[in-house]
Amino acid sequence: MPSHPLRVAVVCSSNQNRSMEAHNILSKRGFDVRSFGTGSHVKLPGPAPDKPNVYDFKTTYEQMYNDLVRKDKELYTQNGILHMLDRNKRIKSKPERFQNCKDKFDLVITCEERVYDQVVEDLNSREQETLQPVHVINVDIQDNHEEATDHICELFEEACACTGGIQHTDDMENEIDELLQEFEDKSNRPFLHTVCFY
Amino acid sequence: MDFSSQEGDSEAPAVIDMTTSEKVVELLNQAALIPTDEKLNVLKQVQELIINKDPSLLDNFLDEIIAFQTDKSIEVKKFVIGFIEEACKRDNELLLRLIANLNMLLKDESVNVVKKAILTLTQLYKVTLQWLVRSKAVSEMQEACWDLVTQMKGDVLALLDSENDGVRTHAIKFTESLIITLSPRTADSDVPKRQEGDISLDKVPTDHSYIHYDELCQEGKTALEKLLKFMVHPAISSINLTTALGSLATIARQRPMFMSEVVQAYETLHANLPPTLAKSQVSSVRKNLKLHLVAVLKHPCSLEFHGQICTLLLDLGMPQSEITRSTPAPREQRKRPRQEQYTEGKKVKIESSSTLIEDDEDKEEPAPLSVPKPAAVPVAQSAIDLTAEFLHPLLTPENVANLVLISMVYLPDIMPASFQATYTPVESAGTDAQIKHLARLMATQMTAAGIGPGLEQCKARGEGAVKEENDDDAATKDLLIKRKVPAMMVGQAISVVGGYAEKASPEVPAAAVKRLPEPILPSAQTKMTGATGRKKVFRLPDIVQQLSDSQIENLTSKAVKRILHSEKPIAQSGMSHVRVKLLSRLVTQFDGMMKSDVLEFILDDIRTRSDLAFSLLYQEYNTYLSQLPSGLLDSYDHCLYTLLSGLQEKPEQRDGLFTKLVLEAPIITESALEVIRRYCEDESRVYLGMTTLKELIVKRPSRQFQYLHVLLDLSSHEKEKVRTTALAFLKRMYEKDQLRDYIEKFALNYLQLLVHPNPPSLLFGADKDTEVAAPWTEETVRQCLFLYLSLLPLNHRLVHELASVYTEAIADIKRSVLRAIEQPIRGMGMNSPELLLLVENCPKGAETLVTRCLHILTDKVPPSPELVERVRDLYHKRVPDVRFLIPVINGLEKNEVIQALPKLIKLNPIVVKEVFNRLLGTQHSEGSSSVSPLTPGDLLIALHNIDSTKCDMKSIIKATNLCFGEKNVYTSEVLAVVMQQLMEQNPLPMLLMRTVIQSLTMYPRLGGFVMNILSRLIVKQVWKYPKVWEGFVKCCQRTKPQSFSVLLQLPPAQLTSVFERCPEMRAPLLQHVHSFTPHQQAHIPGSIMAVLEANKKPEPKPAEPVVETEMEAAPAPSVVEETPKEPETIVEPEPVTQKDEEEPMEQEESEPAIQEETLNISQVESEVETPVPEPEPAEEPMEESQPEPSEQPEPEKDTEADVATKEAENTSEDVE
Repeated sequence: MPSHPLRVAVVCSSNQNRSMEAHNILSKRGFDVRSFGTGSHVKLPGPAPDKPNVYDFKTTYEQMYNDLVRKDKELYTQNGILHMLDRNKRIKSKPERFQNCKDKFDLVITCEERVYDQVVEDLNSREQETLQPVHVINVDIQDNHEEATDHICELFEEACACTGGIQHTDDMENEIDELLQEFEDKSNRPFLHTVCFY
Repeated sequence: MDFSSQEGDSEAPAVIDMTTSEKVVELLNQAALIPTDEKLNVLKQVQELIINKDPSLLDNFLDEIIAFQTDKSIEVKKFVIGFIEEACKRDNELLLRLIANLNMLLKDESVNVVKKAILTLTQLYKVTLQWLVRSKAVSEMQEACWDLVTQMKGDVLALLDSENDGVRTHAIKFTESLIITLSPRTADSDVPKRQEGDISLDKVPTDHSYIHYDELCQEGKTALEKLLKFMVHPAISSINLTTALGSLATIARQRPMFMSEVVQAYETLHANLPPTLAKSQVSSVRKNLKLHLVAVLKHPCSLEFHGQICTLLLDLGMPQSEITRSTPAPREQRKRPRQEQYTEGKKVKIESSSTLIEDDEDKEEPAPLSVPKPAAVPVAQSAIDLTAEFLHPLLTPENVANLVLISMVYLPDIMPASFQATYTPVESAGTDAQIKHLARLMATQMTAAGIGPGLEQCKARGEGAVKEENDDDAATKDLLIKRKVPAMMVGQAISVVGGYAEKASPEVPAAAVKRLPEPILPSAQTKMTGATGRKKVFRLPDIVQQLSDSQIENLTSKAVKRILHSEKPIAQSGMSHVRVKLLSRLVTQFDGMMKSDVLEFILDDIRTRSDLAFSLLYQEYNTYLSQLPSGLLDSYDHCLYTLLSGLQEKPEQRDGLFTKLVLEAPIITESALEVIRRYCEDESRVYLGMTTLKELIVKRPSRQFQYLHVLLDLSSHEKEKVRTTALAFLKRMYEKDQLRDYIEKFALNYLQLLVHPNPPSLLFGADKDTEVAAPWTEETVRQCLFLYLSLLPLNHRLVHELASVYTEAIADIKRSVLRAIEQPIRGMGMNSPELLLLVENCPKGAETLVTRCLHILTDKVPPSPELVERVRDLYHKRVPDVRFLIPVINGLEKNEVIQALPKLIKLNPIVVKEVFNRLLGTQHSEGSSSVSPLTPGDLLIALHNIDSTKCDMKSIIKATNLCFGEKNVYTSEVLAVVMQQLMEQNPLPMLLMRTVIQSLTMYPRLGGFVMNILSRLIVKQVWKYPKVWEGFVKCCQRTKPQSFSVLLQLPPAQLTSVFERCPEMRAPLLQHVHSFTPHQQAHIPGSIMAVLEANKKPEPKPAEPVVETEMEAAPAPSVVEETPKEPETIVEPEPVTQKDEEEPMEQEESEPAIQEETLNISQVESEVETPVPEPEPAEEPMEESQPEPSEQPEPEKDTEADVATKEAENTSEDVE
């Protein structure tokens, strides 16, 4: 008898590319998954590296989409941003900030070390209450379109296999270390892993 | 105990509890039988009911719920644990009964259950302690409970050695919480808000009967020791390590008294990361360490350990700037707060701490709590500190180099992951700071290995402390032991700690065996869910008498009415939506009067109650859906119908509620559609209604044709506004492909009705009781045409349908059709290829239609060459009816017009007039910019030249009269030119003199010109043309005395002839000659003079025969023969359009007119025939009618008549 489904959160900085791709894949596999960003703003590439498009977390994907279409449809179609936003708005209406979410998870997957640090810091800064553990795992994924689209699938296939393994074991905590090691060897990528408590 | 009384209390207000309680029983009974997922759900409901909603029930159902702890499902067990926690928090008394159950679950075989139990115990431990500390009353059960809790605490601590990683993690957290609870909260403790109310050691009284302050204090320290020991285990998992690091940070912040231990533990760990960790785990742990160090650093009490922490952080790769940022500002007075902290705590302890300080100072070991100076020097001089101090001076460059060389031998083959991760190049090699650091690193290692002078010193001190411990009070000992711990972790201290623990633990079980609380056993479940469980519950149906149906109905309807009429109060409370929902649910569930009541209520003020209306409607639909496939729409239909009718009947309705209702209704039923139709028929709302209908058509494609049909029906509505609006909408819809066919088919079907001899009954609304055999009327015909005609300009192809229907229709219909088509045909324009095609093909029987079309097209605009071409073709090749040509006459060639003229002028006078208007450009309307192929002069000349065999003279005369009627066109100049040209022709046109006379009458100043003409006529021997001659004489007669000179130019025979005709001319002419001078008289030939002076006619006879013979030659073909022929050609279409009063159709009426004319002519002829034997009387009228020049119109008529008569006379004479 499997216990309650694992509550998973995937987090990147803007809750646009990596976390949403993961959200997409994991939810298709039946996970109880949510996605978040940790940045103070949502940033999307702009016409130049130093001119990003900045939104707050209240802006819906739809609004961003429309805003970018208005600004330069050609550019944002060509660099895939519109496509990405289109996918995102089908998943949920707007980006969410991890720090503002008070719901509890069993597993938080972050997409880069900086985000991992922010998540862990946030979790540690919260007052402990129930002492329920939450595992935070970082899987480094570059935030560029190529990596997100080409490798992320492959990467998450495996990550899913891994979390899937976690999902199907009765005692996730006891096995997570081993599973992660296995996966780390296989993918040749280091994972950061820690546990925090609600 | 108290429970019984509680139970009594809860049963007193039984009526209120009844439902809750009953519901709980029901849920529990359900829960026993259903699968886990649902069971959990149900149990959660129960928990909500008895813990939050009605805690008085908690006690009643406790056993039933606890019984689920034996459930197979882990989740259910976990639920029970959660329930125990909630229940005990709600009612501390329950701890007595439940703690034993928790104990059982703590030993469950499933790790997940155990973990949950640990979490719960973490909470309940604090709860129990707090509760017991507060309740002063000593009870055995309470004591037993505490004993069990203490035992469980021990069990969980033991789980630090569990095989399961997750269980260990939970045990660590439990230990953390335990340490915090079992140590005093001080002024510089960080206290999380949530835990403000939590118990801590400082709140435990020292005089409690079975809870011993000292014991607790000691337990807390033991726990910390255990935790620290646990952490240095070489095979610790990374997660456990992470957890422990976090726990230590929490402890350091909340209990700064332990900060020294924590920092040292961090130091030790940093230097001795477990070798089992993988590379990535090392980085994770280091990250964590950094995070927690910063957290500790931020605490004000960390100041003493600043140096160590900073060194660690630097080693962990944190920039100095960041470290500085995280460092709190140093506090000046650190001692006083510390003192205060103790005054805040137990008074008992103030003394003890002060003694402690003294003790510490005596030993020259600055105790962490008493050091007054800032933390430049490590305060708590531990074994590490001592060893480091010892090592520092020994670390000369030489020694270090040797050490390095020696240790090279021991380096492993593969670089350990932890080294790889932590290695940072030494930046400040050789500096004092670096040497100090190195010394410290080595000291840590040595201490860990159990060697070094520091360790020995500590050991000695520890022993001393242990000795002291016996004398001193507990607090002192605790502090010492606590301080020692890091140094003893490797083993030495174990004996002390372990011994202590062993001493304590046997005690507890000994007491517990007897008195520990009994768990509630699962056997209870069967008992409770059985009869007793039910009996306990107050069941409504058992004691309540059934109401009669009518009573029930009465009550329900009253209840509903109350809800219904409490509109305002509810709105004020902001709960309108609930009321709306409630009403709609209720009303749809029950039949009867309620429905109509609610509907009536809504309709009373629909604008403000529309939400109720919608809710009700949706609810009805929902009900229908839920009963599919057998469900009936009746109820929904009734609801929708009533609402719509209500709206429709309301006189004032400005907002679009009707539209909204229609568009948002899930289904439009037949009767609803009927209401919509009625709405559309209301002239004041027709636009809104049809807009709604249009929306329906567009937005509900599945039934669009049904809706479209309504609109189509309305397109032949009797009210004009309804009809035109419908047509306007349909025209727009006709542009949509998917609707096009349907609309077109409908229009053509209606059009097709026109071929029936009588209007079909469908043309009369259902309400009109008309006999089927009623004749077509203008109205019914138009009904069939409205839609068709409005589509026609949009789709010209449809015109052929009209033509084919037209040919089959009866005359009345044809007339109506011809009247109705003006607008649409004009709309199509003469360039429409379809229209041209129609003209080209002109189906048999549709000639009048085509002609009408031509007229409409050319009414305002000159005909296009294409049109002219088609008409010409039609005329020449298929239907030689000259009337076709009229509309395009200005587009024809000059000779074509001249050719057609004979036929044209024989038409009805009105038509002829129109033709002339066209030709002369004198059409009534402006814009006839077309250039006539004939000039006015040409026309008049052409008329004179018409072959009299092709046309009767009378028509020609009439035609010329039409010309003379246009005085503006036929000016004296034009006429002069005409006369000039006519006169030059050979032979002379028959009507020449008539025209001359008429011109003269119109323009008397033409007299001189006419005289000239007359003279020239004499040259042309005018007397050879009897008709012209006759006119010549008449002209002379009229123009005397001017004409005298002309008369004198005549040969004598002709002059005689003149005098024969006008004997009265002779005397004046003679007189005129006599007035001549003799010389002039001499010029007048004798023969003339003889004629003038002769009283007797010399030989009048010979002249006449000549005339007669000449006449015979010219008009030989008989007019009589010709005339009857003409009608034949044109008769064909005649019956079709006989009488038309309103809009006289020239070509139609022309037929009878022509007939009449021919008749007239024959009459004239027959009349004329009789006078023939006596020519004299025939001449008389001519003379009689001789008018005064002043009266113009009459003379014209007379002359005309005379000439005509004369002519007729002659011809008839000829014939005979």
